[in-house]
Amino acid sequence: MPRVRVWDLPIRLFHWAIVLLVPAMWATHELERMDLHILLGQILLGLVLFRILWGLIGSSTARFAGFVRGPRAVWRYLRGRGGPAFGHNPLGGWSVVAMLLVLLTQIGLGLFAIDEDALNEGPLSHLVSYETARILAHRHETIFYLLAALIAVHLSAILYYLVVRRDNLVTPMVTGRRAADEAGPALVPAPLWRFLIAAALAAGGTFAISNWL
Amino acid sequence: MKHVILGAAAFAAIATAAYAQRPAAPIVQARQANYKQMAAAVKGINDQLRGRVPDLAAIRPRAALLANYGVQVLRWFPRGSGPQAGVRTRALPAIWTDQAGFERAGARLLVAARAVNRAAQRGDVTAIRAAMPALTRACSACHDDYRAPEH
Repeated sequence: MPRVRVWDLPIRLFHWAIVLLVPAMWATHELERMDLHILLGQILLGLVLFRILWGLIGSSTARFAGFVRGPRAVWRYLRGRGGPAFGHNPLGGWSVVAMLLVLLTQIGLGLFAIDEDALNEGPLSHLVSYETARILAHRHETIFYLLAALIAVHLSAILYYLVVRRDNLVTPMVTGRRAADEAGPALVPAPLWRFLIAAALAAGGTFAISNWL
Repeated sequence: MKHVILGAAAFAAIATAAYAQRPAAPIVQARQANYKQMAAAVKGINDQLRGRVPDLAAIRPRAALLANYGVQVLRWFPRGSGPQAGVRTRALPAIWTDQAGFERAGARLLVAARAVNRAAQRGDVTAIRAAMPALTRACSACHDDYRAPEH
C-alpha cells in the first residue's frame, strides 16, 4: 500500500518531547529535584509556545485552522458520516486543543509557584506575594490531575483506534507517514524559514519570560 | 432568664472542657503562622536580590524578622505540641526524642539568620547574597530531619 506523509518532523519531535517531558516533570517533583523541575518546565514552555506558533504558520496538518472544527463536523464524525480525516480528525483536534491549553495553564501556574519554604520558586514568582504564589502552587498540583486525565483519554483513544478500528496511529507519529487511502489531501510542508521563525520566537519568548520579567 | 444563664454556663463549661483537651492547639497554630512569615520573608529578600538594585528598605525588616524568630524558634516546641496536640502538625516526635539534635538545628538557623541580618542592617548587598544560602540550607536541614513530608 502506498504511504503518504502526514506529520512533519517538528510535529513529531514536539510530540515525543512532550511524551518524555511530562513524566519527567512528575518524576522530578516526586524526587524533590525542583532545580531540574524548574529547568525542564522552561524547556516545556518553549516547546508549547513553538507548537502554538507552528499551529499558525506550520505545515498543513499542524495548523489549527486545518483541524479545529465546529460542533457540526464533530457530530458528523462521531456518527461516522464525516468521511476519512487526514491529520487530526474533528474530535481529535479538540483533544489537541484541550491538551495544549491545559499544558499551557499548568506551565503558567508553575512560573509563579513557590514551595512552602520559599526555597524553590518559579521564574516569575517574584511578581506575586508569598501567599498568592502558594495558592498558585496548590492549583499547579490540582491541574496535574486534569492533565493526567486528558493523557488517559488520549491513550484510550489510540487503543480504541488500534483495536476496534484497526487504525494504527502510533507508527505515523514516529515515521511521519501513513497508509494512503483514496485520493485524499497530502501534507503541505512548511519551508525551513518558517520553522526557524517559529523556533526563534518560541526560544526568545521563553528566555524573556524566564530572565527579563 | 435563669435557664438562659444556666444554659450559657453549661455551654461555656463544655466549650472550655473541649478546648482544654487540646491545650497545645494554639501553640501549633501560632508556630505555623510564624513559619509562614519566615518563608514570606525569605521570598521577600530573594525577590530583591533578583533585581539589579535590591531595595534595602524591603530587605531589612525581613532580615530582622528572621533573626528575631531565629532566637525564638526553639521555644515554639514545648512538650505536648507534637502529633498529640490534636491539630494537624507535621512536627515529628524526633524533636523531643532527639532534643540535642533539634537544638543544634535551631542554633544553626540562628547563626545563619543573624549573619543575613547583620549584612542587611549595614547595607552590604554582596554579604546578604553570600549569607542567604547558609540560611536556606539551615531551613532544609531541620525540615528534613524534624518535619514530616507534606503528603
